Amino acid sequence: MYTLSDDQVEFILKDIQQKGIYTEDLQQNLLDHICCILETEMKADDDFESVYAIVLQRFYKNELLEIEQETQDLLTFKNFYFMKKVMLLSGLSTAGTFMLGSVCKVMHWPGASFFFVLAIGLLSFLFLPLLFLLKQKELKSLQEKLVLLSGVLVGMLYTVAVLASVMHWTMAKSGTYWLLMIGFSFFVFIPLYFFNGIRKPESKINTILVTCLMVIFMSLQFLMVSLKPDIQKQITAIEAKQ
Amino acid sequence: MDASESYVSLFQQIRIMLFSSELIKGTLKTIVLKLLADNKRMYGYEITQKVKELTRDRILITEGALYPTLHALEADGLVVTELEYIGKRVRKHYKLTPSGKSKTKEKVSELIEFMQTMHVLLDINLQTN
Repeated sequence: MYTLSDDQVEFILKDIQQKGIYTEDLQQNLLDHICCILETEMKADDDFESVYAIVLQRFYKNELLEIEQETQDLLTFKNFYFMKKVMLLSGLSTAGTFMLGSVCKVMHWPGASFFFVLAIGLLSFLFLPLLFLLKQKELKSLQEKLVLLSGVLVGMLYTVAVLASVMHWTMAKSGTYWLLMIGFSFFVFIPLYFFNGIRKPESKINTILVTCLMVIFMSLQFLMVSLKPDIQKQITAIEAKQ
Repeated sequence: MDASESYVSLFQQIRIMLFSSELIKGTLKTIVLKLLADNKRMYGYEITQKVKELTRDRILITEGALYPTLHALEADGLVVTELEYIGKRVRKHYKLTPSGKSKTKEKVSELIEFMQTMHVLLDINLQTN
């Protein structure tokens, strides 16, 4: 059996490092594996470098870096899987908590506000951010990621606006949270969504339809928010006359 | 049934052709876990040689698939490593953790059930054809 010298071992280590294997554990594994093959298959009169070059080719299809990438992908996938689980759990918890809050509200039981705040907190600060982190990995272009990010921000602003109204926060009385959400949708999210989707022939019609629906929805929301103070003023005036 | 017989039985049931790298990829975790369950501790090269020997060269595990899998198993806490220093290089021996042992049983029975289901499914297809 051929025994590799320390210089040859160092040569292999440097070579695999240069070829893109940067994880130390992986370097050690590959180094030992290559050494085992060489020591088993090499004969005393063989040329080390040429046999090494042939052996190394067995480790990849195009380049050695593939092993490093595959390892990183598998390790990332593990986090990805965990995040997906948390996202699904937070989604289910949000739905459950909303239902509990609604039951408490209808039955005039204490704790409705607590459940609403908890549900909106879970939705805005756990479910939606995780949704963004997981979905953005599937998107290739920066524009698509920006659309997703702005969509998630609209969702977060929407839930905060609902929470502010329910909890009668000071700024909520003037509709500030709603206007902020509607403004962001009209001037950032909808234009980004529209111009990103309209360019692609396969999503052109769908983009126009969804954009129309979103504009209608946001307009209705705006009407509701902007008219609400007027209606309240009229009611107060009528009550004062009576 | 000793360990080698159980492998032959397991691999005979898999009936993987040499060229089905996609099939091997799907079962690689189970194969590695099962080998470690019966061999206490093994290192990468040893695993590839053992599979080659047990399957009579029908399954050749590539290094490109083996090491990412071993690293993922380690990150999952299913295996731990023991280091052996050989001159200027380090050999990493992998061995199962208690959770790795229970995971192995789970994965092997899952694979056997899958193979039985596939067998039934393919028989049905053959009859309908």
